[in-house]
Amino acid sequence: MHDMSRPEIRAARPDPGPAEGEAQDLAFLLAQVARGDHQAFEAVYGQLAGPVYGVVRQVLRDPAQSEEVAQEVLLEVWRSASRFDPARGSGVAWVLTMAHRRAVDRVRSENAGSRREQKVASETVTEYDDVADIVETSLEGQRARRCLDSLTDLQGESIKLAYYGGYSYPEVAQLLGVALGTVKTRIRDGLIRMRDCMGVMA
Amino acid sequence: MHVLTGSYALDALDAQERAEFERHLQHCPSCQAEVRGLRETAARLAIARAAQPPAQLEQRVLAATYRTRQLPPLPADRLRRDLGQTRLARLARLFAGRPAADQPDSSHGHRSDRRSDRRSDRRSDRRAARRSDRGRGSGWSNNWLRSPRLVGAVAAASVAAAVGLGITQVSTQHQLDSAQATSAAIAKVLDAPDARIEATSATAGGAVTVVVSALQREAVVTTRGMPSLSSSRVYQVWVMSSSGARSVGLLSSTAHIGELLASGVQSGDQIGITVEPSGGSSRPTITPVATVPVTA
Repeated sequence: MHDMSRPEIRAARPDPGPAEGEAQDLAFLLAQVARGDHQAFEAVYGQLAGPVYGVVRQVLRDPAQSEEVAQEVLLEVWRSASRFDPARGSGVAWVLTMAHRRAVDRVRSENAGSRREQKVASETVTEYDDVADIVETSLEGQRARRCLDSLTDLQGESIKLAYYGGYSYPEVAQLLGVALGTVKTRIRDGLIRMRDCMGVMA
Repeated sequence: MHVLTGSYALDALDAQERAEFERHLQHCPSCQAEVRGLRETAARLAIARAAQPPAQLEQRVLAATYRTRQLPPLPADRLRRDLGQTRLARLARLFAGRPAADQPDSSHGHRSDRRSDRRSDRRSDRRAARRSDRGRGSGWSNNWLRSPRLVGAVAAASVAAAVGLGITQVSTQHQLDSAQATSAAIAKVLDAPDARIEATSATAGGAVTVVVSALQREAVVTTRGMPSLSSSRVYQVWVMSSSGARSVGLLSSTAHIGELLASGVQSGDQIGITVEPSGGSSRPTITPVATVPVTA
């Protein structure tokens, strides 16, 4: 019985190739979500909850707050799935851009009132490798780490502080004791190098 | 500016620089392409930090989807999306009397307010809540609630303005680009927590609306239905203060709707509109056809 139903599913939705499969699938799923498909949303959750929660917690550190923001972001994916435009980038980038920006906005709005609880001065780059339960299974994630490691020290540190630390580039410049212009350039050069290393398609 | 693509993709710009860069982005297709690639790259940085979310998160999110209405798709027309929708949403928030509607004890929360509430995202809700606190203190909600007719007229003008801008699609790319850049700046004023609105009618007909943010020291000047002028004349908009008048810019003498952004505006100034020879004047040569006081 189970075997019999299988070919039908295949026929309705042919399996895309393994390499681009995930990305295509996500765009497809998001289109389904936009039509109110809760099951499709569960699948999207399955693919993205880990990276969303991971990056939010990387920036915010506080688990309770991270959970709250991750929940907001994931619900926002449900809410605004109709606004996702595959012509403007991948679904992964759409969701994770949203996640990172929300986390950073949360940090900055808190900083506006009072200083961030973390001591900026004693923050070190190595801290960003300390988060214990990073999911190691994703090949893509492993490749990203390898590419990140291939950057020059200043490029790598600037990118980690900016992205994982949620610091603005002037703050990064201050932390690293280098000129503003240098940080801007290093961040861009480093990201371009990573992009080429990872073979990301624009 | 171009070197900021990386910092932008990593959200490492402060709010002001982000807005400036986004304005720049509108004119810079090569920046757009680069940002897109760097965003994809940044997403991989997130994937590299994927972590096991707390077990209860899934249930909470899934349950919340059943309680959460989804946004409708935007019209395919990108321009309308950028110029029209966001702007209309902001205007709707601004004009829908949010400060009053957000107060639990308010009786002004009629249905259209609630609909716009549901549409706006959580962040703007929080912002609106803050605005509401301020609004209560400054009394601007009262100020504008006193003139519902005016608000209706302004909202209509704004809708017309957005539609009018949509039509510029058929004009040149350059006009389009500058319209989009201005639009971003204008949206910022309309979205300001302290935005307040003043309106008047011009002596020769037509309506002038000014939305001021004292915090941003900027004002959006919108005109509607001003009489057409001969080809040798234009409308010129001024910021008039005790130290003199400073030109904000020219309005087309024939367009039904005009819109300009005035910077460096402060309480006590007046926004004035005069009729000047085409090309404009360095100082107002005649009595303004309309003046609107700027109050904070």
